[in-house]
Formats: sequence, C-alpha cells, structure tokens
Amino acid sequence: MSQFSAVQVPKAETIAIQVTAPNQVKLSGTITQKDPANDLAGFFKALHTAAVSDRLSEVRADVSGLTFVNSSAIRLFVDWATWVKNERGHRYTLRFVTSRNVTWQKTSFMALMSLAKEVLAIEHVT
Amino acid sequence: MSSRNPSTPSSASRLAVATAVGTQRPGDGAVLTGRTLLRVICTAGSGALEYTHAFITAYTADHLRGAVAQRLSVGAYELLSNALNFGSVSSDIVIELIESDNMVGVRVSNDAISARISMLTEHLLKLKTNAEQTFLEELRRSVTGGIPRPMLGLARVSHEVGLTLDLQVNERRVSVTAQCRR
Repeated sequence: MSQFSAVQVPKAETIAIQVTAPNQVKLSGTITQKDPANDLAGFFKALHTAAVSDRLSEVRADVSGLTFVNSSAIRLFVDWATWVKNERGHRYTLRFVTSRNVTWQKTSFMALMSLAKEVLAIEHVT
Repeated sequence: MSSRNPSTPSSASRLAVATAVGTQRPGDGAVLTGRTLLRVICTAGSGALEYTHAFITAYTADHLRGAVAQRLSVGAYELLSNALNFGSVSSDIVIELIESDNMVGVRVSNDAISARISMLTEHLLKLKTNAEQTFLEELRRSVTGGIPRPMLGLARVSHEVGLTLDLQVNERRVSVTAQCRR
C-alpha cells in the first residue's frame, strides 16, 4: 500500500491540499499565516518520509495554484528540498509544477533550483 | 534567471538604470510622492497582518494592472510583516498605497530601535548592490538557521518581484517604500 497517498492532509484555512497516488501533491490558494510551519512542516516531512519508504523515483508538488505565499512558506519548500538533498537512503526527484502567471513562483523556484539542482526539477504550466 | 517576467526588471538592470546618467526615467528610484490611495493604521504587536494584506491585495487587484498588483501584494505583506515583527510596540504602524503619475508603491512606517535601523540600512544597501545574490544568501541562511534571523522578506521584494526599495529615517521613525512603474 502506498504510504504517500495515506499521508494525512492538514486542515489550513487558506490552502486546499490534495494528495494523489502514487506521487502527487497539489496545493492551491494562499499561504499568509505568520507561521505556516505549524500546519505544513510536519505534512511535508511526512510526504518526504513516505516517498522514501515507497521508493518513489519522483514526487510532483504542484504549486501552480498557490497565488501568494509569504517568505516563511518559501522556507518550507527550501527545507523539503534540503531533506531530499541530504537523504542518505533512497533519493527521489522533487518536481515542482509552477505557473508562469504567478510572479512569486518564477524567481523563487529558480533560486531554489540553484541550491539543490541535483534533486529538483521545475516544470512550468500555462 | 532566464524565466524572469520582462516587466520585472532584474537587480542588475535596475542598478544599471540608477547609475547610467541620462537613462533614468522620471520617478525611477526617487522618493515616491503623490496621491495616497489608502492608509491603514495598525496597532504594533497585533494580528493585523493577514486581514490588512487581504484588503490591500483585493484593492490593488481592482485598481491596478494584474502584474503590478501581484508585485505590490508581496511588497505590502513583507514590509508590514517586518514592521509588526521588529517595530516598536509603543507607536502605530502605518501602511499606505501611494501613486504618482508614473509610479505606484506601498509604504510602511513604524518606530524602531537604532540597532534595527542600522541592520535595515545595511540590508537595503546589500540589496541595492546585488539583489539576486542577497536573495540566494538569505535562502541559504534559512536552511542553516542563520543568526541574526534570515531576512528573506525584503530580498523577495527587491529580487523576486522587482520593486525598488527606499528607506527614509527620521529619528526613530522608519519608512520603507517599495515601488514600481504603474
């Protein structure tokens, strides 16, 4: 059984989250709360742990519908990329699906790519 | 950074504009003066960040071009967040949306201690010199948990959404303006 798709989705007011087997998570809405780590850090860590357990070759994180995030939320994506980069067991590719129409996504993920290019992939939609 | 939106100037090009005499367009890099479209007074230490940001985002989306509204939304959030986190609790924080003939911007004013003002001045100087490099440094520091705390917010404003930052200090009162062409 896929551990990835069994990860419990947190309830957060401004974000809609959908986990789809075998390897996709989709986030849409906005992340504006002062400390989004309370809702999302544990969730991202659980997805990472499940992806390693499932020996996935790739995780698709579709953030194209995230129209606004604060800088604390960007740190959460940096953390996730760092976990994959530092993984000593099974390593997978973390593919962020981003939108060309959302300003914050263009530069943030390119910058993130430069920090962990060996484990990241960026895909643009629209 | 080849995927940058052409409407969002790179730090390098903005720096070039600022240093190339005769090529600067009216309003670029100058202190923003003009009509105040809205002015919100927030109590320091309050939870005003999310609903104030939501209001400003809705207002700019209705009044300005989409790309400009998105950029100002990021600017408004990060400037107000900094003021609420680091400003003095003894005075109000004021956030304004200001437009001139060519420019539009968001200005946040608050009181701060001198150490904070020095840190802010230094950080803005780094951003003015190389916003992209500073943004990457702050991203790296957010991985390692740097001391002092990583200052990713202003780096986003300058590099990610390409707003020009301007700092004005009057004794303990600090005003940071993030602006772009309309």
